[in-house]
Amino acid sequence: MKHLLKTTAAALILISGAASADYPERPINLVAPFNAGGGTDLLLRAFAPHFAEALGGDAYVSNMAGGSGTVGAGALAGQKPDGYQMGYWSVTVSTIQPQIKDVPYDVDSWTPICSVAASPTVLFTNASSPFQTIEDVVAAVKAEPGKYIYGSSGPGAITHLTTVAAFSGLGIIDDMKHLPFQGSGPALQAMAAGTIQFFGDTELLMTRGDFRPLMVFNSERLASFPDVPTAAEAGIAAPLNELYLWGGLFAPAGVDADITQTLTTACETAMNSDGFQDFAAQTSTVLNYRNAADFDAFFRAQYESNAALIDAAGL
Amino acid sequence: MIQALPEAMNLILTLEGLLVLTLGTMLGIILGALPGIGSTVAVAMILPFTLTMPQAPAILLLLAIYAGSVYGGSISAILINTPGTPQSAATCLDGFPMAQRGDAGKALGWSTIASVTGGLTSAVVLIFAAPQLAALALNFGPIETFALILLGLTCIVSVSEGTLVKGLMAGCLGIFLSTVGGDPITGEARFTFGQFQLIAGFNLLAVVIGVFALSEVLTRAAAVRDQSHSLVAFNGIVLPKLHEWKGRIKGLIKSVAIGNGIGVLPGTGAATAAFISYAEARRSSPNRDNFGKGEPDGLIASESANNAVTGGALVPTMALGIPGDAITAVMLATLTLHGVTPGVRLMTENPVLMAAIFSGFFVINIMLLPLGMLVSRMAAPILRIKEAYMLVMICLLCTVGVFFVRGNPFDLLVMALAGIIGFILRRQGYPMAPLVIGMVLGPTLEISLRQGLIITDGSFTAFFIGHPIASTLVIAALAMLLLPAIRAVRQRRSAQRESH
Repeated sequence: MKHLLKTTAAALILISGAASADYPERPINLVAPFNAGGGTDLLLRAFAPHFAEALGGDAYVSNMAGGSGTVGAGALAGQKPDGYQMGYWSVTVSTIQPQIKDVPYDVDSWTPICSVAASPTVLFTNASSPFQTIEDVVAAVKAEPGKYIYGSSGPGAITHLTTVAAFSGLGIIDDMKHLPFQGSGPALQAMAAGTIQFFGDTELLMTRGDFRPLMVFNSERLASFPDVPTAAEAGIAAPLNELYLWGGLFAPAGVDADITQTLTTACETAMNSDGFQDFAAQTSTVLNYRNAADFDAFFRAQYESNAALIDAAGL
Repeated sequence: MIQALPEAMNLILTLEGLLVLTLGTMLGIILGALPGIGSTVAVAMILPFTLTMPQAPAILLLLAIYAGSVYGGSISAILINTPGTPQSAATCLDGFPMAQRGDAGKALGWSTIASVTGGLTSAVVLIFAAPQLAALALNFGPIETFALILLGLTCIVSVSEGTLVKGLMAGCLGIFLSTVGGDPITGEARFTFGQFQLIAGFNLLAVVIGVFALSEVLTRAAAVRDQSHSLVAFNGIVLPKLHEWKGRIKGLIKSVAIGNGIGVLPGTGAATAAFISYAEARRSSPNRDNFGKGEPDGLIASESANNAVTGGALVPTMALGIPGDAITAVMLATLTLHGVTPGVRLMTENPVLMAAIFSGFFVINIMLLPLGMLVSRMAAPILRIKEAYMLVMICLLCTVGVFFVRGNPFDLLVMALAGIIGFILRRQGYPMAPLVIGMVLGPTLEISLRQGLIITDGSFTAFFIGHPIASTLVIAALAMLLLPAIRAVRQRRSAQRESH
């Protein structure tokens, strides 16, 4: 009997010691904090099979929507950091919402695994509008304070922060009005109708309509719009001059270094797979891989710099 | 568009095309009939399957699911008083009383014909007038939307005839519930009392299912009587005879027009259309006194309007490349995944694909009739089980459906509480439809009002200067409010005259 206990104990120790080597032993849950069928959901569903293949295990996507993504993130925060649960958080879910809302997570709640996508945002206006350049806009706003309106897909959304970065950086935000909508769709309809004059979103969304780009929040000019100045060129100082809609995988804080390494390597392999590259090309998703350490540093820097934007937006 | 039709027909009239349309519509009807699985969830569920399909069949499959699920919602609304989606909530009001008095087959007959008519008309409108309508819809800014929603809110008065005060109280409760959560303009959390879960607000579907379906289950369970017989007698759809349509055609045409019109506008949707159309029918129908007691006109009004919205909602999506709601956003995402760039040039750059989509949409709506009859026939044996078992099954279906939408266990708690509170309120004679109307229209009412006030720098009177559409709608809303009072006064006078 004693012997049996000893062997059992030894076996248990062996099993637990081998846990990270055998990882993953069961399917991994990837949480999309938005409804099925949305942009985040589609990206994650395209990513999951390649990620699973790279890990040599199974991965499935589950949706937990609500509260601009905070419901899903709030549910994952504080869960067991065993590497079997991760979420795909965007810049807003991970760095902006926790600074403007009372959510049960903050900058220290996560083990960043890898960044997947990052697209710079673009400030744009109607193609039929009289504004050819950002200088025209500044002159017009100063001539008639209170007349012009910029839209957003909701308070605190990346679309809101883009316009705030632009007009606060140019020093004309107090002479303009902000009109939030529920989503980019209704806001773009209002732009086509002339209710709002300015909107900021990724290049992908802008190219769908008849819109004219005014400046890009990137470190350099975009290849597709070589004549459109960067925000820095338009006279906007750091940290408001660069703004990216980025997203990546986050696990609850405290994941083993071994497992984190396994996951970040699998993430890179998945992102380089033909299948995921095809998906990215078709949806014009700008891929941007960062490993766990780089992503952690980037995430913390973004958390800090977005605080300035939140302040400027008066949120 | 019309020149591209012959080539488009080649895309649809293939084995794969027809198979996709038939199976998709049928699956859509079944998913829509399951409580909780609304159009958005149904479309999102099917989306992954379309990734490996060619362009035209992929988008046609989603359209079939969409149109099928909007119709399917009426089946459970009529048979078990459980609206599959908020957009069929108005269908319960007259559908379930009809089913209870033994006319379930007839009720489904009326709703099927109304749905098909609404859907087909909207397909025709989509094919011939999408660009023009999309341009027209752009005239509808926040101020016009506010006025329209105000008009919509007057339905609270018409659906609570006889219990006006209680109806208004229920309506206010609904509007109040819709304000819980993030402020749409400032983003601040309201009425959350420190509860993080409430940041996202109350889920509309969880509340709707709670107050309609769960409270019905509780009411029936509380009634002391034999529960071994079945809930409703139903043996399949009985289509209305031609002579029964006498006096109802005008209402049908009006409801279809309302559905199409509202569908085109951004930020409204099928639930709004169904309620406005129902209220209008209740005001103008020759059978208005029977409303709420199982009147076919009420069914026709809500079902033709909510299906007419499907085509209308595709108008801005296809003509401007801008999705009006979550469902059309999924459709655009599908197009993107298949290498088609949605946008203002969508129709000019892909004429054949667009013609195939639009004509496929027409075919889907024709197929609603036979497939709806088939699905109902399949459902009939299920409905014959004992009432007690049926009630348990309804509870299970509601739970699964509500959890499925957002994957949030908190929504189940909301559904249970809404069921219990709904049960208590109903026992006290409070109608539940106004509560749902308040919750459906509340968010749009608030955001459009506040957007309007931002545009006019805080002046409410400026809403009516230079906004002829808004002014007309507000006058119509006032008329709707005053009409019952005027009618009552007139009746009293004539009664007095007779007694003299």
